[in-house]
Amino acid sequence: MNDALLRIDDYSLSYTTAHGSLPVLDGVTLSVAPGEVVGVVGESGSGKTSLAWAIMRYLAGNAIEHGGSIQLQGEELTTLKAARLRALRGGRLGMVFQDPSAALNPTLTLGSQMLEMLTRHRGVSRGEARRIAIETLGDVDLKNPESMLARYPHELSGGEKQRALIAGAFACRPACLIFDEPTTALDVINAAQVLELFGRLREETGVAALYISHDLALVSRIADHVCVLEKGRIVERAPGRKIFAAPDHPYTQSLVAAVPNPRRRLVAESEIAAHANARERPPLLTLRGISVDYGQRTTLARWLKRPDPRFRALNPFDLEIAHGEIVGVVGESGSGKSTLAKALTGLVNHRGEILLDGEAVSSTPRGRADYRRRVQLVFQHPDGSLNPRQRIGELIGRSYRLYGLPEGETLSQAVARSLEEVRLDPTLASRYPHELSGGQKQRVAIARAFAARPDVVICDEITAALDVSVQATVIALLLDLRRRHGTAYLFITHDINLIQQIAHRVAVMYRGDRVELSSAEELADGPKHAYTRALLAATPTIASSARVIDDEFSAPTMDQE
Amino acid sequence: MPDSLKTLVRSPQGVVGGGLCLLAIVLVVLGPWLAPFEPNALSFTARYQPPGPMHWFGTDQMGRDVLSRVMIGARDTIVMSLLATAIAMVLGAVIGTLSAYLGGWVDEAIMRTMDAIMAIPSLLFALLIVATLGKSDVNAVAAIAIAFTPGMVRVARSVALAVRTQDYVSAAIVRGESTSHIVVREMLPNIVAPVIVEGTVRVAFAVMLFATLSFLGLGAQPPSSEWGLMVSEARSHLFTAPWMMIMPGLCIALVAIGFNLLGDGLRDALNPRSRT
Repeated sequence: MNDALLRIDDYSLSYTTAHGSLPVLDGVTLSVAPGEVVGVVGESGSGKTSLAWAIMRYLAGNAIEHGGSIQLQGEELTTLKAARLRALRGGRLGMVFQDPSAALNPTLTLGSQMLEMLTRHRGVSRGEARRIAIETLGDVDLKNPESMLARYPHELSGGEKQRALIAGAFACRPACLIFDEPTTALDVINAAQVLELFGRLREETGVAALYISHDLALVSRIADHVCVLEKGRIVERAPGRKIFAAPDHPYTQSLVAAVPNPRRRLVAESEIAAHANARERPPLLTLRGISVDYGQRTTLARWLKRPDPRFRALNPFDLEIAHGEIVGVVGESGSGKSTLAKALTGLVNHRGEILLDGEAVSSTPRGRADYRRRVQLVFQHPDGSLNPRQRIGELIGRSYRLYGLPEGETLSQAVARSLEEVRLDPTLASRYPHELSGGQKQRVAIARAFAARPDVVICDEITAALDVSVQATVIALLLDLRRRHGTAYLFITHDINLIQQIAHRVAVMYRGDRVELSSAEELADGPKHAYTRALLAATPTIASSARVIDDEFSAPTMDQE
Repeated sequence: MPDSLKTLVRSPQGVVGGGLCLLAIVLVVLGPWLAPFEPNALSFTARYQPPGPMHWFGTDQMGRDVLSRVMIGARDTIVMSLLATAIAMVLGAVIGTLSAYLGGWVDEAIMRTMDAIMAIPSLLFALLIVATLGKSDVNAVAAIAIAFTPGMVRVARSVALAVRTQDYVSAAIVRGESTSHIVVREMLPNIVAPVIVEGTVRVAFAVMLFATLSFLGLGAQPPSSEWGLMVSEARSHLFTAPWMMIMPGLCIALVAIGFNLLGDGLRDALNPRSRT
């Protein structure tokens, strides 16, 4: 292992906080050979980003290192002087960040930022740097690289920005690149393109890379070796493809089991048959031609012949949701899927009509109140949807105060029962939201929705902000609640793997249009619309990477519930 | 809250500001008991005495002990200023939050009205109100409160606009909560920190404004020992007995500085909201 390009030996790190020392990395040992891609996988709080910063020698002020060494090409980095470090960063050791819009300075053109990087690290003249910049931008399939240099970051799309940053990182001819979740902020199809680009550039240049991500399916696609990080400790390391087919460590096993696998349905097929019978009843919720326009045109603007600022976020949308049915809505950002949720809950004005039990929702206060009770919404970020100044008991209790208590129960009993129903300790009622973990907070939000005894719950990306293992438990909880109460779900997500696991029917959205509405079986057999096919192809799954070696390794038991 | 209090005590502005404000509050509460002399007791033999071991702050033209008068006057000056600021704070927070929540033309109407009030200098505005309502200390409090409200509305609104986009407000709308519930229970608790900071800084201005009004004869009336009034009365004796003016003036300055520093300290202490 002496020929390793990047070596980390028994490296430990902790942060000093008001509540004492918080260990972040504990005896991490890993090495990256020339031309190799090493993936680091871990959930939030596992210390994977701290590891990246430790290698870049850019640690927070309260970080304390507890020995260990980090070596790049045999040179010790932990004791390096500041001047040498500056030459190292961006030069021999490059980094690509999660959010491309935060990594670029919004007040400088892309050209000036790339030229500075190139003149500093390649030691070339500005003219030469310009030539290299144009060449590399063309190399990453950006159109019109010349005019691209004159543009400001806000004039580029997220995918373009990330590609430009990757181009810049490679152009400095680094020995090793660190990627910190470079595709997390991008849409699926953009992410697939960036990954493809990453693979191609790596083959051409032979640069070694450390690829940090929370997405196991993605890492299994691109990494030669994978290290699994749990609470600052590497619990398992194995070749990329093997680790997901036959994980050894229990933590890795639980992680792999939690990754949504579109082939493993979590809703029994018999239930779908039962719901076919339910079709005889009028549908629970009927949407007829729901459309939403943002922006407004004033009379003054019309007189002055200003351009019409209105734009259509959602084109006329029809959908029927039966009692107890799970309908998935899947699409990228800007596809209008969240707008649909807002329209249904009255947060934005819409055209078209909504029918509940076959009857138009009456506009009387009473009718609106009844609709609001029966149609509940759970938001993406529990941090945002739970008021930080209210205790958990108040938050859930509000639903009971508004919609009435079940008979024979006091408010505190009802709140305790609600908390138990979402498998939380009833004593949490006296806590504030910030004292709870992300998964617990989302459970509280779910409990609040179910306290209204709703017929349909709209879930707007409710697992997007959660780790995979937490996501799996939240999904299991939702299915359990549905079994108990017969609630229907409108499940909005960008994760097509997840939706294939749980939805009876899936609506695929693209730029405000519903391009496809298929049952889960139809989607599994082959999607009708070209966009859906592109979406499915771009989404990495564990199944697709494990398929190759299915015969060599026996698949682990993946028990979901 | 205990965490931010700890941070406050650790910062130099917090310590000095907190100390001065504590001293002011001690004066307000215990002034009459601590004062060595009766504030309005005349003494013909002890007129115009410079500060000395007997009269620490000296005496005035009627032989009254300036220190005792300052101690008693603290109650008028500081309580009135605090009251005026508190009224402005509550009014401002509610109007600002409501304006941010309702948005649209209601927001526009409220904010342009506030702009109009703000366009008039606060002293001029206070003078106007006192001149119309008649001169008394209660009217002076009302005048200062109204003059300060627009500033508070602006601060509250700018914070409330950020809170307005939070999902918990959307969640409350979806649940069908009333406007008053959303403004008072959901939004207000989340904007108090910046409003309190702004309020503390404003107390300093209120102390000065109130003293100014009294100095002009429109606030507290003789024989009250409100500090601004004391300065005003001492004006004609500036050259014979400068301490008569310097002592209460110094107190006004100290209290103003104290609240200002406390406000600065609070801003730092409350700003990174989740220090846990």
